[in-house]
Amino acid sequence: MLCGLFALENANVSDSISDLEISPRALFPCWNSRRIQGEKKMVRAYSQEHTYKHPWERVTSASWRKFADPENKRTLSHILEVDTLSHKLEPTLGRLYTTRALTIHAPGPWFLRKIIGQDICHCVESTVVDARSRSMQLATRNISLQKYIEVEEKIRYDPHPENPNEWTICRQETSIRIKPLSALASMAEKIEQKCVEKFQQNSVKGREVMERMCKYLEAEARGISV
Amino acid sequence: MGIMRDRKRPPSSATSPCADLRTAYHNCFNRWYSEQFLKGQWDKIECVSEWEKYRECLSQHLDDKHLSRFLEADGIADLNSRAEFATRVS
Repeated sequence: MLCGLFALENANVSDSISDLEISPRALFPCWNSRRIQGEKKMVRAYSQEHTYKHPWERVTSASWRKFADPENKRTLSHILEVDTLSHKLEPTLGRLYTTRALTIHAPGPWFLRKIIGQDICHCVESTVVDARSRSMQLATRNISLQKYIEVEEKIRYDPHPENPNEWTICRQETSIRIKPLSALASMAEKIEQKCVEKFQQNSVKGREVMERMCKYLEAEARGISV
Repeated sequence: MGIMRDRKRPPSSATSPCADLRTAYHNCFNRWYSEQFLKGQWDKIECVSEWEKYRECLSQHLDDKHLSRFLEADGIADLNSRAEFATRVS
């Protein structure tokens, strides 16, 4: 199933889980409205927050590296490949735009694979880093299997207001929408629950990887400066 | 059970042939990001030759049409508007 999803990030899933019967556009106005209209909506949105006790510069460096590190690859084994598709720098503003493709292995129960016909999912991640204001925003969504499910994950890293030079706050929003396809309709609820469980497992992994990467970068920086 | 497919290992991806070029580019990018971009030297992007080689390989192996659309900067604006948070997470 696709929604072991990105598990790109971290944090204590828990608190603010809300079932939404409202239009997803209220939450994500940029969603393709053409696709949304006239369908029964089934959206779940989650938000999470985590404080890294590392400066913003280190955390964002870790974010770029977390999929590539060999040790992390074992932990995040569902991420098969990360390819950079485009990058653009706005020199006057100090802004960096990057688009990456994530190839995710998402095996599900055999009957689902039978229906869907594949267990590889491509996601596109777009990132904006504003070096002046010290913010990093990532948005990831699936581009395969869209007729079954849409997952969108948004993450942003900002300096923590209480300790902006030493800590970083990570805020994350995830929305999962199962399409009410007739063949899947009766299973949709179950599938969604599975997604949530998988998401929570992978979330914890993602945070561990980020923490490890930060420690590694911290040690590396110390090694250089000593 | 005949219908159970083996789930031993995940299949390799189409862009695997580009792995070395990808690593070279990403290493260069990571260094540039940490050592220059974050330190205010954002006047130009480095790693141009690494990027050119890697991109060339991607354009040959990226058979997914959806993904190919993103290979040049086209569509990046659309995606980036999605990166703006619609609502503040509280």
